[in-house]
Amino acid sequence: MRRRRKILWAVVPLAALHGLVLLAEFFAPYHYATQNRMLPYAPPTPVHFFDQEGRFHRPFVYELVPDETGMGYREDLTRPCSIRFFVKGEPYRLLGLFSTDRHLLGVDEPARLLLLGTDGFGRDQLSRLLHGGRISLFAGFLAAALSLGIGLALGSLAGFYGRWIDAVIMRGAELFMALPWLYLLLGARAFLPLSISPVQTFLLLVSLIGTIGWARPARLIRGVVLSARERDYVLAAKGFGAGDSYLLGRHVLPQTLGVVYTQAALLIPLYILAEVTLSFLGLGVAEPEPSWGNMLGELQKYHVLTSYWWMFSPGLVLVVVFIVYHHLARKL
Amino acid sequence: MSSHAACGAREGEPEALLQVRDLAVHYVGAGGEEAAVLEEASFDLAVGETLGVLGESGGGKSTLALAVLGLLPPNGRVTAGRVSFHGRDLLRLSRRDLDQVRGDEASMIFQEPGVSLNPCMRAGDQVADVARVHRRWPAKRCREEARAMLELVGFDDSDGVFGAYPHQLSGGQKQRVVIAQALVCRPALLIADEPTASLDATTQAEIVALLRDLRQRLGLAMLFVSHDVALLHSLVDRMIVMYAGQIVESGSRDQVVLKPSHPYTRELLRCVPGGAEKGVGPGRPRLPTILGSPPDPARWPPGCRFEPRCPDRLESCGARRPEPRPAGDAGTVRCLLYDD
Repeated sequence: MRRRRKILWAVVPLAALHGLVLLAEFFAPYHYATQNRMLPYAPPTPVHFFDQEGRFHRPFVYELVPDETGMGYREDLTRPCSIRFFVKGEPYRLLGLFSTDRHLLGVDEPARLLLLGTDGFGRDQLSRLLHGGRISLFAGFLAAALSLGIGLALGSLAGFYGRWIDAVIMRGAELFMALPWLYLLLGARAFLPLSISPVQTFLLLVSLIGTIGWARPARLIRGVVLSARERDYVLAAKGFGAGDSYLLGRHVLPQTLGVVYTQAALLIPLYILAEVTLSFLGLGVAEPEPSWGNMLGELQKYHVLTSYWWMFSPGLVLVVVFIVYHHLARKL
Repeated sequence: MSSHAACGAREGEPEALLQVRDLAVHYVGAGGEEAAVLEEASFDLAVGETLGVLGESGGGKSTLALAVLGLLPPNGRVTAGRVSFHGRDLLRLSRRDLDQVRGDEASMIFQEPGVSLNPCMRAGDQVADVARVHRRWPAKRCREEARAMLELVGFDDSDGVFGAYPHQLSGGQKQRVVIAQALVCRPALLIADEPTASLDATTQAEIVALLRDLRQRLGLAMLFVSHDVALLHSLVDRMIVMYAGQIVESGSRDQVVLKPSHPYTRELLRCVPGGAEKGVGPGRPRLPTILGSPPDPARWPPGCRFEPRCPDRLESCGARRPEPRPAGDAGTVRCLLYDD
C-alpha cells in the first residue's frame, strides 16, 4: 500500500501533464503559431489584483506597450483588462473531434495574456510549451513502446529458444548497443528528405528512435525469460501438455512485466531527450510546429540565451519530467 | 492384480498400456563429456496397474520417469529404446503430438508441489488451463471441470481453493491441486516422481490414500517413483529396483520386498528403519547402511555396477556384466549369483 502511494506521487503528475498537453488547445490561451509582431520577446505579463487606487480587483493585466527607449516594454496603466475563464477565442477541434472556440483563460481586449512571455515572433510561449509538449512527450512514449515491443519479441525469442536464435539475436543486440545512437540518428535523419509534413517528421523520429533502442530491453528481457523458463512450474506445465505459446504467454512473459515497466519508465525520458536533441539541432520537428527541442533551439542565439530567461521554460519542464519519470522507475 | 503382470522384457502383452524397451539416456556434462545415466530399461505397465520404481538418489529413477514423457532437460538425450504408449512410440512423436499426449492421456507430477505451481496464478485457473489447452472448451466449462476435479481430489471447499494462490495453500493442498491438474483430462497413465517426498508423514499418508482412491475410481495406471520401500509396498502392484542406471530387479511387490533376489535390494531393505520394536533414543542400535557410495555415472565399473559395494560378490563379478534373468514369480534379476 505504501509502495502504491509512492507510485501515485509519480503517476498523478505525469497523468496531469499528459492530460494538459493532450488538451493543449483548450488550456493554451492562443494558437501556437499566432504571432504578435509588436511584442517580440515580451516578458511574462504580470498579473495584478489591485488597481491604481489600491482597490481590490478581479485578476487583471495591463496591455504591454513599447517603452520610451524602444528596447523594452512597459504596462499601459490606464486600462485594466480582466482575466476571464472559458472565453471565446480562436476556434479549434478538441482532440480532433469536437469543434469549439472556448479556451480556459483569456483576457479582455486589447491586452494579451502572455503568462510565460513571447518568443521572437511574439508567439505566446505558454501556448507553444503546451503544444510542444504534446509532440515531445508522446514521441518519447511511442518510441519507448516501439523499443519495448521489439525488445520483448526478440528478447523472449532469444531467451526461450536459446541456441542459434539466441546467438544471432544477441550479437545483433550488441551491434546496436555499440552504435553511437546520436550520430546514427543524425545520419539517418540527414539522409531522409527534410521537407516532409510535421506528422511524417514526427512518425519518422519516433520510428527511428524506437527502432535503434531495442537492444537494451531485449537483453534484459532475455535474462528474465532465461530464468523464468527454468522454473519447475514450466516443466510441470510441459508435463501437462502445454505448448510453447502457452508457456510463453502464461508463465514466462508475465514474469517480464516488472522489467518492462521499469524499462518503460527509464526509456521514455531518454527518448523524450532524444527527440528534444534532434529538434534542437534542427533535424526534428520543424517550425512553426513547436516541440520542446526546437523551442530550446532559440537559445542558440546569444542574445536570447543571455537576455530572455523565459525562453528556458521548456528546459525547466523537461527537468521536472525527468525527475518524475526517474522517481517512477525507482518505485516500480 | 498382478497375475498377468509381465516384468522385464516380455514381448507382446496385448493389454500393456505402456511398454518401455531398452531405454537408454545420456546426459552431457558441462565439459561435453557424456554420462550414461540410464541403460537397458525395459518394463511393461498394464491398464490400471501401479508400478513402483525403487532406488537410491542418482540411480536413474527420475530420469526414467522424465524420459518416458520426453521431459528430459536440454542436456539429456535418449540414445536408444522405445516407449510405446497406446501403441504409439512416444520417443518418435513430434513436439506437437507429444503435447497432445502429455496431460491428456498421460500426466506427470513432481516432487515439490510448491514449485510445480505458478505462484502468480490462482490454483483453480491452473487446473482449468490444462483442460483448456487440451479440450478447447469454453472458459466456463473448463472452470466447472476444474472445480469438479478439485472436489474429486478431496477439497470440500472447492470454491475457496479455486481462488487461492499457491502460497495460501499448505504443501498437501498444493500437491492435491497438482494431482487435480494431472487428472482433469482423465489420463490413463499418471507418472509420479516422488510426489510425497517433500511432505510430512501424515500428509504423505493422505496423498497416498488419495492416489489409491483415484486409481480405483478412474482406472488409472501409475508409475510411482520413490525411495520409500514401505510406501511403495503399500501402494503398488509390482516394483522395479534401480541401481546405477540399471534395473537390477523386478517383480511383484511382495516378492521384491519379502523375498528380494538381488543383493542390492537386500541391502536396501536392511537399511529400512524397523520402527517401534527397535526402540528410539540413545540405546537404539545404529541404522545399518550400505558401505561405499554409488559409482560415478561417467565411470561405471566394468562388470556388475554393484560389485564394489556388494557383500555377496563372486570372483567374476568385477569383470562380467550381468544380464537380466527371470527370477521368482514373473520377475527378473540382474545378478551373476543367478547365472547358470
